[in-house]
Amino acid sequence: MASPNDIKKGVVIKDSAGLWLVVEFQHINPGKGAAFVRTRIRNLESGKTLEATYKTSETIELVEVEHRRMQYLFHDASGYTFMDQESFDQVSMADDAVGEQGKYLRDGMEINMTTHEGRPLSIELPRKMTFKVIESMDATGGNTVSGGNMTKEVTVEGGIKVKAPLFIKQGENIIVNTETGEYVERA
Amino acid sequence: MNLEQIRARSRVVQLVRRYFDEQGFLELQTPRLVGLPGQEPYLEPMWSKVEEADGTPHRGALITSPEYAMKRMLAAGFEKIYDLGPCFRNDEPWDGTHDPEFLMVEWYEKGIGLSELMERTEAMVKWVAGQYGKPFSETAFRRLSVRDAMKQYANVELDSLIGDREAVAEACREHHQTVNEADTWDDLFFKIFLSEVEPKLGEVPTFLHTYPVSMAALAKKDPSDPRYALRTELYIGSLELANGFVELTDATEQRKRFEEEQELRRSLGKETWPIDERFLEALPKMGEASGIAFGVDRLAMLLTGAKSLSELMPIPVRERF
Repeated sequence: MASPNDIKKGVVIKDSAGLWLVVEFQHINPGKGAAFVRTRIRNLESGKTLEATYKTSETIELVEVEHRRMQYLFHDASGYTFMDQESFDQVSMADDAVGEQGKYLRDGMEINMTTHEGRPLSIELPRKMTFKVIESMDATGGNTVSGGNMTKEVTVEGGIKVKAPLFIKQGENIIVNTETGEYVERA
Repeated sequence: MNLEQIRARSRVVQLVRRYFDEQGFLELQTPRLVGLPGQEPYLEPMWSKVEEADGTPHRGALITSPEYAMKRMLAAGFEKIYDLGPCFRNDEPWDGTHDPEFLMVEWYEKGIGLSELMERTEAMVKWVAGQYGKPFSETAFRRLSVRDAMKQYANVELDSLIGDREAVAEACREHHQTVNEADTWDDLFFKIFLSEVEPKLGEVPTFLHTYPVSMAALAKKDPSDPRYALRTELYIGSLELANGFVELTDATEQRKRFEEEQELRRSLGKETWPIDERFLEALPKMGEASGIAFGVDRLAMLLTGAKSLSELMPIPVRERF
Protein backbone atom coordinates (compact mmCIF):
# COMPACT_ATOMS: atom_id res chain seq x y z
CA MET A 1 0.00 0.00 0.00
CA ALA A 2 1.07 3.55 -0.66
CA SER A 3 0.32 7.09 0.51
CA PRO A 4 -1.27 9.77 -1.68
CA ASN A 5 1.96 11.68 -1.00
CA ASP A 6 3.63 9.17 -3.39
CA ILE A 7 1.39 10.28 -6.26
CA LYS A 8 3.29 11.68 -9.21
CA LYS A 9 2.57 12.16 -12.87
CA GLY A 10 2.74 8.75 -14.57
CA VAL A 11 2.09 6.51 -11.55
CA VAL A 12 -0.78 4.03 -11.82
CA ILE A 13 -3.45 3.73 -9.13
CA LYS A 14 -5.41 0.53 -8.76
CA ASP A 15 -8.92 0.58 -7.31
CA SER A 16 -12.14 -1.42 -7.63
CA ALA A 17 -12.83 0.23 -11.02
CA GLY A 18 -9.50 -0.80 -12.51
CA LEU A 19 -6.17 0.86 -13.29
CA TRP A 20 -5.85 4.63 -13.49
CA LEU A 21 -2.91 6.61 -14.83
CA VAL A 22 -2.22 9.87 -12.99
CA VAL A 23 -2.17 12.61 -15.63
CA GLU A 24 -1.99 15.62 -13.29
CA PHE A 25 -1.77 16.08 -9.54
CA GLN A 26 -1.68 18.92 -7.01
CA HIS A 27 -1.30 19.09 -3.24
CA ILE A 28 -4.07 21.14 -1.67
CA ASN A 29 -4.46 22.50 1.77
CA PRO A 30 -7.80 24.26 2.08
CA GLY A 31 -6.87 25.74 5.49
CA LYS A 32 -10.26 24.96 6.93
CA GLY A 33 -9.88 21.29 5.95
CA ALA A 34 -7.46 18.36 5.94
CA ALA A 35 -4.59 18.08 3.43
CA PHE A 36 -5.52 16.53 0.10
CA VAL A 37 -3.96 15.51 -3.20
CA ARG A 38 -6.14 16.39 -6.17
CA THR A 39 -5.54 14.26 -9.27
CA ARG A 40 -6.69 13.95 -12.81
CA ILE A 41 -6.67 10.25 -13.68
CA ARG A 42 -7.28 8.25 -16.86
CA ASN A 43 -8.72 4.76 -16.88
CA LEU A 44 -6.41 2.45 -18.80
CA GLU A 45 -9.28 0.32 -20.13
CA SER A 46 -11.93 2.85 -21.09
CA GLY A 47 -9.77 5.93 -21.54
CA LYS A 48 -12.27 7.82 -19.35
CA THR A 49 -10.73 10.77 -17.50
CA LEU A 50 -11.92 12.11 -14.17
CA GLU A 51 -10.85 14.09 -11.09
CA ALA A 52 -10.29 12.26 -7.83
CA THR A 53 -9.14 13.79 -4.56
CA TYR A 54 -7.38 11.79 -1.85
CA LYS A 55 -6.78 12.72 1.78
CA THR A 56 -3.03 12.53 2.40
CA SER A 57 -3.67 10.34 5.45
CA GLU A 58 -5.48 7.57 3.56
CA THR A 59 -3.83 4.59 1.85
CA ILE A 60 -4.04 3.80 -1.84
CA GLU A 61 -2.69 1.06 -4.07
CA LEU A 62 -0.08 1.91 -6.70
CA VAL A 63 0.97 -0.69 -9.26
CA GLU A 64 4.52 -1.30 -10.52
CA VAL A 65 5.37 0.31 -13.83
CA GLU A 66 8.39 -0.16 -16.10
CA HIS A 67 10.32 2.60 -17.88
CA ARG A 68 11.58 1.89 -21.38
CA ARG A 69 13.63 3.89 -23.84
CA MET A 70 11.79 4.12 -27.17
CA GLN A 71 12.35 5.58 -30.61
CA TYR A 72 9.40 7.18 -32.36
CA LEU A 73 8.88 5.65 -35.81
CA PHE A 74 5.68 6.86 -37.47
CA HIS A 75 2.03 7.82 -37.11
CA ASP A 76 -0.82 6.12 -38.96
CA ALA A 77 -4.47 5.18 -38.48
CA SER A 78 -3.64 2.91 -35.53
CA GLY A 79 -1.87 5.73 -33.69
CA TYR A 80 1.81 6.31 -32.88
CA THR A 81 4.35 3.51 -33.31
CA PHE A 82 7.56 3.30 -31.29
CA MET A 83 10.47 0.85 -31.16
CA ASP A 84 12.01 -0.46 -27.94
CA GLN A 85 15.72 0.48 -27.98
CA GLU A 86 16.75 -2.78 -26.26
CA SER A 87 14.44 -5.48 -27.61
CA PHE A 88 13.61 -3.72 -30.92
CA ASP A 89 9.94 -4.67 -30.39
CA GLN A 90 7.45 -2.29 -31.94
CA VAL A 91 4.67 -0.85 -29.78
CA SER A 92 1.68 1.26 -30.83
CA MET A 93 -0.20 3.81 -28.77
CA ALA A 94 -3.61 5.24 -29.66
CA ASP A 95 -3.90 8.98 -30.42
CA ASP A 96 -5.99 9.53 -27.27
CA ALA A 97 -3.37 7.93 -25.03
CA VAL A 98 -0.59 10.12 -26.43
CA GLY A 99 -2.83 13.19 -26.39
CA GLU A 100 -1.38 16.68 -26.81
CA GLN A 101 2.19 15.41 -26.64
CA GLY A 102 1.77 13.78 -30.06
CA LYS A 103 2.25 17.07 -31.87
CA TYR A 104 5.82 17.37 -30.57
CA LEU A 105 6.93 13.91 -31.79
CA ARG A 106 9.40 13.91 -34.67
CA ASP A 107 10.49 10.88 -36.68
CA GLY A 108 13.43 9.11 -35.10
CA MET A 109 13.42 10.97 -31.78
CA GLU A 110 13.95 9.07 -28.52
CA ILE A 111 11.54 9.28 -25.62
CA ASN A 112 10.87 7.54 -22.31
CA MET A 113 7.80 5.31 -22.16
CA THR A 114 6.05 4.02 -19.06
CA THR A 115 4.52 0.56 -19.42
CA HIS A 116 2.56 -1.78 -17.19
CA GLU A 117 2.97 -5.50 -17.92
CA GLY A 118 4.28 -4.56 -21.33
CA ARG A 119 1.36 -2.25 -22.14
CA PRO A 120 2.23 1.36 -22.99
CA LEU A 121 0.75 3.88 -20.54
CA SER A 122 2.36 7.20 -21.24
CA ILE A 123 5.32 8.84 -22.91
CA GLU A 124 7.63 11.48 -21.55
CA LEU A 125 9.12 14.04 -23.92
CA PRO A 126 12.22 16.14 -23.31
CA ARG A 127 10.90 19.13 -21.36
CA LYS A 128 12.48 21.62 -23.73
CA MET A 129 12.63 21.08 -27.49
CA THR A 130 13.99 23.24 -30.29
CA PHE A 131 11.79 24.09 -33.28
CA LYS A 132 12.29 26.10 -36.43
CA VAL A 133 9.82 28.93 -36.97
CA ILE A 134 8.16 28.35 -40.33
CA GLU A 135 5.67 31.17 -40.26
CA SER A 136 5.77 34.46 -38.44
CA MET A 137 3.87 37.61 -39.23
CA ASP A 138 5.60 40.89 -38.68
CA ALA A 139 4.54 42.62 -35.50
CA THR A 140 1.17 44.35 -35.61
CA GLY A 141 -1.93 42.23 -36.26
CA GLY A 142 -2.81 39.57 -33.73
CA ASN A 143 -0.51 40.87 -31.02
CA THR A 144 -1.62 40.26 -27.47
CA VAL A 145 -0.30 41.38 -24.13
CA SER A 146 0.59 38.59 -21.75
CA GLY A 147 2.23 39.26 -18.39
CA GLY A 148 3.22 42.74 -19.51
CA ASN A 149 5.10 41.52 -22.63
CA MET A 150 3.83 41.85 -26.17
CA THR A 151 3.58 38.50 -27.94
CA LYS A 152 2.45 37.22 -31.32
CA GLU A 153 1.53 33.81 -32.61
CA VAL A 154 4.14 31.98 -34.69
CA THR A 155 3.96 28.57 -36.35
CA VAL A 156 6.84 26.12 -35.92
CA GLU A 157 7.66 22.80 -37.60
CA GLY A 158 4.82 20.32 -37.27
CA GLY A 159 2.28 23.15 -37.54
CA ILE A 160 2.43 23.91 -33.80
CA LYS A 161 1.35 27.41 -32.84
CA VAL A 162 3.33 29.14 -30.11
CA LYS A 163 3.04 32.60 -28.53
CA ALA A 164 6.44 34.21 -28.96
CA PRO A 165 7.96 37.68 -28.44
CA LEU A 166 7.63 40.17 -31.30
CA PHE A 167 11.33 39.99 -32.23
CA ILE A 168 11.13 36.33 -33.35
CA LYS A 169 11.42 35.98 -37.12
CA GLN A 170 10.68 33.29 -39.66
CA GLY A 171 13.58 30.83 -40.06
CA GLU A 172 14.86 31.26 -36.48
CA ASN A 173 15.00 28.39 -33.99
CA ILE A 174 13.13 28.71 -30.70
CA ILE A 175 12.93 26.54 -27.58
CA VAL A 176 9.46 25.44 -26.50
CA ASN A 177 8.41 23.95 -23.14
CA THR A 178 6.58 20.75 -24.11
CA GLU A 179 4.64 20.60 -20.83
CA THR A 180 3.09 24.03 -21.10
CA GLY A 181 3.43 24.71 -24.84
CA GLU A 182 5.06 28.04 -23.98
CA TYR A 183 7.98 29.80 -25.63
CA VAL A 184 11.15 29.59 -23.50
CA GLU A 185 13.89 31.41 -25.40
CA ARG A 186 15.66 31.81 -28.72
CA ALA A 187 17.74 28.69 -29.51
CA MET B 1 16.13 38.50 -7.09
CA ASN B 2 13.68 40.69 -8.97
CA LEU B 3 13.64 44.17 -7.47
CA GLU B 4 10.64 45.19 -9.57
CA GLN B 5 8.51 42.41 -8.11
CA ILE B 6 9.59 43.16 -4.54
CA ARG B 7 8.79 46.83 -5.12
CA ALA B 8 5.40 45.85 -6.56
CA ARG B 9 4.52 43.89 -3.42
CA SER B 10 5.39 46.90 -1.25
CA ARG B 11 3.17 49.05 -3.44
CA VAL B 12 0.24 46.65 -2.99
CA VAL B 13 0.70 46.67 0.80
CA GLN B 14 0.80 50.47 0.77
CA LEU B 15 -2.40 50.68 -1.30
CA VAL B 16 -4.29 48.26 0.93
CA ARG B 17 -3.38 50.37 3.96
CA ARG B 18 -4.40 53.54 2.16
CA TYR B 19 -7.79 52.08 1.26
CA PHE B 20 -8.64 51.24 4.85
CA ASP B 21 -7.22 54.49 6.24
CA GLU B 22 -9.28 56.53 3.78
CA GLN B 23 -12.40 54.51 4.58
CA GLY B 24 -12.13 55.42 8.26
CA PHE B 25 -10.75 52.14 9.62
CA LEU B 26 -8.26 52.26 12.48
CA GLU B 27 -5.14 50.18 12.00
CA LEU B 28 -4.34 48.16 15.11
CA GLN B 29 -1.07 46.37 15.75
CA THR B 30 -2.36 43.33 17.62
CA PRO B 31 0.17 40.89 19.11
CA ARG B 32 1.92 38.32 16.93
CA LEU B 33 3.06 36.24 19.90
CA VAL B 34 0.32 34.96 22.22
CA GLY B 35 -0.24 32.31 24.89
CA LEU B 36 -3.36 30.73 23.36
CA PRO B 37 -3.45 30.76 19.57
CA GLY B 38 -6.43 29.66 17.47
CA GLN B 39 -7.23 25.99 17.65
CA GLU B 40 -8.61 25.34 14.16
CA PRO B 41 -8.24 21.61 13.51
CA TYR B 42 -6.23 22.08 10.31
CA LEU B 43 -4.09 25.10 11.15
CA GLU B 44 -0.86 24.55 13.06
CA PRO B 45 0.61 27.39 15.12
CA MET B 46 4.37 27.70 15.65
CA TRP B 47 5.22 27.31 19.32
CA SER B 48 7.94 28.99 21.30
CA LYS B 49 8.85 29.62 24.92
CA VAL B 50 8.67 33.04 26.54
CA GLU B 51 10.60 33.61 29.77
CA GLU B 52 10.41 36.46 32.28
CA ALA B 53 13.57 37.92 33.83
CA ASP B 54 13.23 35.66 36.90
CA GLY B 55 12.97 32.60 34.68
CA THR B 56 9.18 32.16 34.89
CA PRO B 57 8.35 30.28 31.68
CA HIS B 58 5.30 30.73 29.47
CA ARG B 59 4.36 28.86 26.35
CA GLY B 60 3.88 31.19 23.42
CA ALA B 61 2.81 30.77 19.82
CA LEU B 62 2.88 32.93 16.71
CA ILE B 63 -0.65 33.73 15.60
CA THR B 64 -2.27 31.98 12.64
CA SER B 65 -4.54 35.05 12.37
CA PRO B 66 -5.25 38.07 14.60
CA GLU B 67 -8.91 37.08 14.98
CA TYR B 68 -9.16 36.66 18.78
CA ALA B 69 -7.38 39.91 19.51
CA MET B 70 -9.41 41.83 16.94
CA LYS B 71 -12.70 40.60 18.36
CA ARG B 72 -11.60 41.60 21.84
CA MET B 73 -10.92 45.07 20.44
CA LEU B 74 -14.45 45.19 19.01
CA ALA B 75 -15.76 44.19 22.44
CA ALA B 76 -13.67 46.99 23.94
CA GLY B 77 -15.55 49.50 21.78
CA PHE B 78 -13.80 49.92 18.40
CA GLU B 79 -16.15 49.96 15.39
CA LYS B 80 -14.05 49.70 12.22
CA ILE B 81 -10.60 48.18 12.58
CA TYR B 82 -7.94 46.45 10.52
CA ASP B 83 -4.68 44.66 11.17
CA LEU B 84 -2.12 44.22 8.40
CA GLY B 85 0.84 42.10 9.35
CA PRO B 86 2.50 38.70 9.15
CA CYS B 87 0.68 35.54 10.19
CA PHE B 88 2.34 32.18 10.67
CA ARG B 89 1.18 28.69 9.80
CA ASN B 90 3.10 25.48 10.16
CA ASP B 91 2.86 22.27 8.13
CA GLU B 92 1.70 23.93 4.92
CA PRO B 93 3.03 23.10 1.46
CA TRP B 94 5.81 25.43 0.21
CA ASP B 95 4.25 25.32 -3.21
CA GLY B 96 4.40 28.88 -4.45
CA THR B 97 1.02 29.93 -3.05
CA HIS B 98 1.93 29.32 0.61
CA ASP B 99 4.69 30.68 2.79
CA PRO B 100 4.90 29.82 6.52
CA GLU B 101 5.06 33.59 7.14
CA PHE B 102 2.68 35.62 5.02
CA LEU B 103 1.04 39.02 5.05
CA MET B 104 -2.60 39.14 5.93
CA VAL B 105 -5.00 42.02 6.31
CA GLU B 106 -7.91 41.26 8.57
CA TRP B 107 -10.67 43.78 9.05
CA TYR B 108 -13.89 44.06 11.04
CA GLU B 109 -16.85 46.32 10.74
CA LYS B 110 -19.70 46.54 13.23
CA GLY B 111 -23.31 46.34 12.13
CA ILE B 112 -22.81 44.81 8.70
CA GLY B 113 -23.90 41.44 7.29
CA LEU B 114 -22.58 39.01 4.71
CA SER B 115 -23.59 40.96 1.60
CA GLU B 116 -22.00 44.19 2.89
CA LEU B 117 -18.87 42.24 3.80
CA MET B 118 -18.60 40.97 0.22
CA GLU B 119 -19.27 44.47 -1.13
CA ARG B 120 -16.52 45.95 1.05
CA THR B 121 -14.06 43.26 -0.05
CA GLU B 122 -14.88 43.75 -3.71
CA ALA B 123 -14.55 47.52 -3.36
CA MET B 124 -11.14 47.17 -1.72
CA VAL B 125 -9.81 44.74 -4.36
CA LYS B 126 -11.08 46.91 -7.21
CA TRP B 127 -9.73 50.12 -5.71
CA VAL B 128 -6.27 48.65 -5.06
CA ALA B 129 -6.17 47.05 -8.52
CA GLY B 130 -7.23 50.34 -10.16
CA GLN B 131 -4.62 52.38 -8.27
CA TYR B 132 -1.99 49.77 -9.08
CA GLY B 133 -2.82 50.12 -12.76
CA LYS B 134 -4.41 46.74 -13.39
CA PRO B 135 -8.11 47.56 -13.07
CA PHE B 136 -10.80 44.87 -13.04
CA SER B 137 -13.77 45.23 -15.37
CA GLU B 138 -16.77 46.96 -13.84
CA THR B 139 -18.74 43.71 -13.79
CA ALA B 140 -19.65 42.76 -10.23
CA PHE B 141 -17.87 39.74 -8.78
CA ARG B 142 -20.08 36.66 -8.84
CA ARG B 143 -21.91 35.63 -5.63
CA LEU B 144 -22.42 31.87 -5.48
CA SER B 145 -23.64 29.86 -2.51
CA VAL B 146 -21.88 26.58 -1.71
CA ARG B 147 -25.22 24.87 -2.30
CA ASP B 148 -25.60 26.35 -5.81
CA ALA B 149 -21.94 25.72 -6.65
CA MET B 150 -22.26 22.03 -5.73
CA LYS B 151 -25.39 21.79 -7.86
CA GLN B 152 -23.96 23.69 -10.82
CA TYR B 153 -20.54 22.02 -11.06
CA ALA B 154 -20.99 18.61 -9.42
CA ASN B 155 -24.73 18.06 -9.76
CA VAL B 156 -24.96 17.36 -6.04
CA GLU B 157 -27.97 18.40 -3.92
CA LEU B 158 -26.19 19.59 -0.81
CA ASP B 159 -29.34 20.10 1.29
CA SER B 160 -30.02 16.37 1.40
CA LEU B 161 -26.44 15.59 2.48
CA ILE B 162 -25.92 18.04 5.34
CA GLY B 163 -25.13 16.26 8.57
CA ASP B 164 -25.66 12.83 6.97
CA ARG B 165 -22.32 11.07 6.68
CA GLU B 166 -23.72 8.01 4.93
CA ALA B 167 -25.43 10.18 2.31
CA VAL B 168 -22.27 12.15 1.52
CA ALA B 169 -20.28 8.88 1.45
CA GLU B 170 -22.71 7.53 -1.14
CA ALA B 171 -22.34 10.71 -3.21
CA CYS B 172 -18.55 10.24 -3.05
CA ARG B 173 -18.82 6.69 -4.36
CA GLU B 174 -21.01 7.89 -7.23
CA HIS B 175 -18.39 10.54 -8.04
CA HIS B 176 -15.55 8.04 -7.98
CA GLN B 177 -14.04 9.32 -4.74
CA THR B 178 -12.56 7.05 -2.10
CA VAL B 179 -14.45 6.61 1.18
CA ASN B 180 -12.61 5.54 4.32
CA GLU B 181 -13.83 4.94 7.83
CA ALA B 182 -11.71 7.78 9.18
CA ASP B 183 -13.21 10.32 6.75
CA THR B 184 -15.39 12.94 8.43
CA TRP B 185 -18.39 14.56 6.73
CA ASP B 186 -16.19 17.55 5.88
CA ASP B 187 -13.47 15.32 4.36
CA LEU B 188 -16.00 13.63 2.09
CA PHE B 189 -17.54 16.95 1.12
CA PHE B 190 -14.05 18.26 0.25
CA LYS B 191 -13.29 15.28 -2.01
CA ILE B 192 -16.17 16.24 -4.30
CA PHE B 193 -15.74 19.99 -3.83
CA LEU B 194 -11.99 20.01 -4.55
CA SER B 195 -12.32 17.65 -7.54
CA GLU B 196 -15.25 19.19 -9.34
CA VAL B 197 -16.06 22.62 -7.96
CA GLU B 198 -13.05 24.52 -6.64
CA PRO B 199 -10.97 24.41 -9.86
CA LYS B 200 -13.76 26.23 -11.70
CA LEU B 201 -14.67 28.86 -9.13
CA GLY B 202 -12.13 31.50 -10.07
CA GLU B 203 -12.93 31.54 -13.81
CA VAL B 204 -14.68 34.78 -12.97
CA PRO B 205 -13.96 36.49 -9.62
CA THR B 206 -16.35 34.72 -7.24
CA PHE B 207 -17.50 35.02 -3.66
CA LEU B 208 -18.43 31.53 -2.54
CA HIS B 209 -20.74 31.90 0.45
CA THR B 210 -23.07 30.27 2.96
CA TYR B 211 -21.22 27.14 4.05
CA PRO B 212 -22.38 23.99 5.83
CA VAL B 213 -22.31 24.95 9.50
CA SER B 214 -19.67 22.32 10.36
CA MET B 215 -17.21 24.24 8.18
CA ALA B 216 -17.54 27.61 9.85
CA ALA B 217 -16.57 27.42 13.52
CA LEU B 218 -16.54 31.18 14.14
CA ALA B 219 -19.49 32.21 11.97
CA LYS B 220 -23.09 32.95 12.79
CA LYS B 221 -25.71 30.49 11.54
CA ASP B 222 -27.89 31.54 8.63
CA PRO B 223 -31.15 32.63 10.32
CA SER B 224 -33.17 31.35 7.34
CA ASP B 225 -31.53 27.91 7.39
CA PRO B 226 -29.52 26.87 10.46
CA ARG B 227 -27.82 24.01 8.59
CA TYR B 228 -25.68 26.71 6.97
CA ALA B 229 -23.43 29.45 8.32
CA LEU B 230 -22.67 32.97 7.08
CA ARG B 231 -19.17 32.53 5.73
CA THR B 232 -17.59 33.63 2.44
CA GLU B 233 -14.40 32.99 0.51
CA LEU B 234 -13.14 34.96 -2.49
CA TYR B 235 -11.69 33.09 -5.47
CA ILE B 236 -9.95 34.82 -8.36
CA GLY B 237 -8.12 32.75 -10.97
CA SER B 238 -6.62 29.77 -9.20
CA LEU B 239 -6.21 31.65 -5.92
CA GLU B 240 -8.34 31.72 -2.78
CA LEU B 241 -7.83 35.24 -1.50
CA ALA B 242 -10.03 35.70 1.54
CA ASN B 243 -12.14 33.98 4.16
CA GLY B 244 -14.68 35.88 6.24
CA PHE B 245 -17.69 35.54 8.51
CA VAL B 246 -20.64 37.24 10.01
CA GLU B 247 -19.21 36.70 13.44
CA LEU B 248 -20.65 34.39 16.02
CA THR B 249 -21.28 36.35 19.23
CA ASP B 250 -22.97 33.67 21.34
CA ALA B 251 -20.36 32.54 23.88
CA THR B 252 -22.19 29.30 24.76
CA GLU B 253 -22.41 28.24 21.11
CA GLN B 254 -18.80 29.33 20.56
CA ARG B 255 -17.60 27.23 23.51
CA LYS B 256 -19.47 24.22 22.12
CA ARG B 257 -17.80 24.66 18.69
CA PHE B 258 -14.35 25.11 20.27
CA GLU B 259 -14.86 21.88 22.23
CA GLU B 260 -15.86 20.09 19.03
CA GLU B 261 -12.71 21.42 17.37
CA GLN B 262 -10.56 20.22 20.26
CA GLU B 263 -12.23 16.83 20.01
CA LEU B 264 -11.45 16.67 16.29
CA ARG B 265 -7.82 17.66 16.93
CA ARG B 266 -7.49 14.89 19.50
CA SER B 267 -8.99 12.34 17.10
CA LEU B 268 -6.39 13.43 14.51
CA GLY B 269 -3.66 12.84 17.06
CA LYS B 270 -2.95 16.56 17.34
CA GLU B 271 -2.09 18.63 20.38
CA THR B 272 -4.78 20.72 22.10
CA TRP B 273 -4.52 23.60 24.58
CA PRO B 274 -6.99 25.44 26.84
CA ILE B 275 -9.78 27.50 25.33
CA ASP B 276 -9.08 31.25 25.49
CA GLU B 277 -11.48 32.26 28.29
CA ARG B 278 -10.73 35.98 27.92
CA PHE B 279 -11.87 35.71 24.32
CA LEU B 280 -15.11 33.94 25.27
CA GLU B 281 -15.76 36.51 27.98
CA ALA B 282 -15.42 39.36 25.49
CA LEU B 283 -17.54 37.76 22.77
CA PRO B 284 -21.04 38.80 23.96
CA LYS B 285 -19.87 42.44 24.23
CA MET B 286 -18.62 42.48 20.67
CA GLY B 287 -21.97 43.32 19.07
CA GLU B 288 -23.01 42.33 15.57
CA ALA B 289 -20.02 42.50 13.26
CA SER B 290 -18.46 40.92 10.21
CA GLY B 291 -14.82 40.38 9.44
CA ILE B 292 -12.58 38.84 6.85
CA ALA B 293 -8.99 37.63 6.58
CA PHE B 294 -7.44 38.56 3.26
CA GLY B 295 -4.14 37.33 1.78
CA VAL B 296 -2.20 40.45 0.78
CA ASP B 297 0.62 38.43 -0.80
CA ARG B 298 -1.84 36.59 -2.97
CA LEU B 299 -3.38 39.88 -4.12
CA ALA B 300 0.16 40.98 -5.01
CA MET B 301 0.61 37.74 -7.00
CA LEU B 302 -2.58 38.46 -8.87
CA LEU B 303 -1.69 42.05 -9.73
CA THR B 304 1.95 41.41 -10.64
CA GLY B 305 1.29 38.16 -12.50
CA ALA B 306 3.90 36.43 -10.31
CA LYS B 307 3.61 32.65 -10.59
CA SER B 308 5.06 32.06 -7.13
CA LEU B 309 5.24 33.96 -3.84
CA SER B 310 8.98 33.43 -3.99
CA GLU B 311 9.17 36.05 -6.75
CA LEU B 312 7.68 38.67 -4.42
CA MET B 313 9.27 37.91 -1.06
CA PRO B 314 12.46 39.81 -0.19
CA ILE B 315 13.90 36.46 0.98
CA PRO B 316 11.92 33.48 -0.36
CA VAL B 317 11.09 30.62 1.99
CA ARG B 318 13.63 28.22 0.46
CA GLU B 319 16.39 30.72 1.14
CA ARG B 320 15.38 31.17 4.78
CA PHE B 321 15.49 27.59 5.96
